[in-house]
Amino acid sequence: MEEVKSYIESGILELYVLGQLTAQECIEVEAMVAKYPEVKAELSAIEIALEAYAQENAIVPSAYLEEQILNKFSENTAPLITNAEPKIIPLYEGNNEGTVRKLRYALIACSILLAISLGALFSAHKELNVANDQIANLSSDQQKFTTTVSKLEFEKAGMENRIAMTESEEWTTVKLAGVPTSPNAKMFVYWNKANKNILINYAAMELPKTDEAHEYQLWALVDGKPVSLGVFGQTDKEAVKQMETIQKAQAFAVTIEPMGGSVNPTMEKMVVMGGVSI
Amino acid sequence: MATTKKIALSEEELVNALKRQDTIAIKALYDMYSGALLGVISRIIQQTEVAEDLLQETFIKIWNSAGSYDSSKGRLFTWMMNVARNLSIDKLRSKDFKNSIKNQDIENNVDFIDEQKKVSFNADTLGLKEMVTLLKPEFKDVLDMVYFKGYTHVEAAEELNLPLGTVKTRVRMAILELRKKFN
Repeated sequence: MEEVKSYIESGILELYVLGQLTAQECIEVEAMVAKYPEVKAELSAIEIALEAYAQENAIVPSAYLEEQILNKFSENTAPLITNAEPKIIPLYEGNNEGTVRKLRYALIACSILLAISLGALFSAHKELNVANDQIANLSSDQQKFTTTVSKLEFEKAGMENRIAMTESEEWTTVKLAGVPTSPNAKMFVYWNKANKNILINYAAMELPKTDEAHEYQLWALVDGKPVSLGVFGQTDKEAVKQMETIQKAQAFAVTIEPMGGSVNPTMEKMVVMGGVSI
Repeated sequence: MATTKKIALSEEELVNALKRQDTIAIKALYDMYSGALLGVISRIIQQTEVAEDLLQETFIKIWNSAGSYDSSKGRLFTWMMNVARNLSIDKLRSKDFKNSIKNQDIENNVDFIDEQKKVSFNADTLGLKEMVTLLKPEFKDVLDMVYFKGYTHVEAAEELNLPLGTVKTRVRMAILELRKKFN
């Protein structure tokens, strides 16, 4: 026991606790500690004193350090700490279920609305097609009516003029009758007695049809020679058309000539002819 | 991590948790010993930031070396304290730390020099100094050097121009005084 006492009093245990010994010396101390309970008790007393002393003089680390250390720690050792999985607590406990239910109802309502909208859209599309067809029909009808009306107005203007000519003392009406090649053709030419103007009236002619490359040419026969009074087509903007004036003539005739007319009439293409004297 | 509740485990529970690498051990270690360990570190390395980095390294080393701790050889805190002290002394002697000291700006240098010349009092170390001052001056000097300043007892003997045996005796007497106070 004397050996133990002097060992304790040598101060080696304090140096051991303070980490002042070599590895070899440490092994010797550890052997003594294991062998003698008194040495072990002495060692513990020294350790507890220094531990209490350190606690008494603790310095509290900066507030952020704990989190920093613990975080770094869980990063470094992640595979080793799976059994310490933190429990996840929802921020708004209980509300999630209600929210999900509400959202589910909203989703159903949205789906129904979408189906109804698609149905309505399809039906509207069909109706729109029908309406479009009707509009096209009406528009085509309207075009027909417009054509008819303008044709009627054209004819009415011609007829009015023809009546006016007939009733007037100022105008002489010359009747041109069909020739043997076109027996059904006929036409009236109006000749003003005063200023010698010549008018033709589309409401007062029935001539054989021409093709697109030909038109009619009106001639006056003056002392046996044909004089051109101008060309006219199958129809015109105005029902009544003014031709060239002529001072005197013994007869009028119409031939079918190439577009733009000819210098001399093509006699075999003569369609109507009529004599006159004023 | 969010919990602010302090964890305290018995030494045996703590050692078991540490050995099976349960993170609760690190939380408990932090709650129970971070201040005491930072106290030890800070008396060797005065710069707060460096000291706190060392505390972090200390925890990592404790965790990684837990397998080598043998409770039959001593208490857990003794082992941890020595981990902290050794890391701090290594840092103090490292080239990059010495360079960083040289590169301190003038204000920090003033603090550092003051610290060296003991003309100012660090609030954190005030209590410590008072307590050690209760010891006889010859005990105080020796304990101061080996416990706080990272001297080995051999270096302390040379520095104080004392025989090695006297240094050992004085360390023992200083700790006996502390035992009277704490045990």
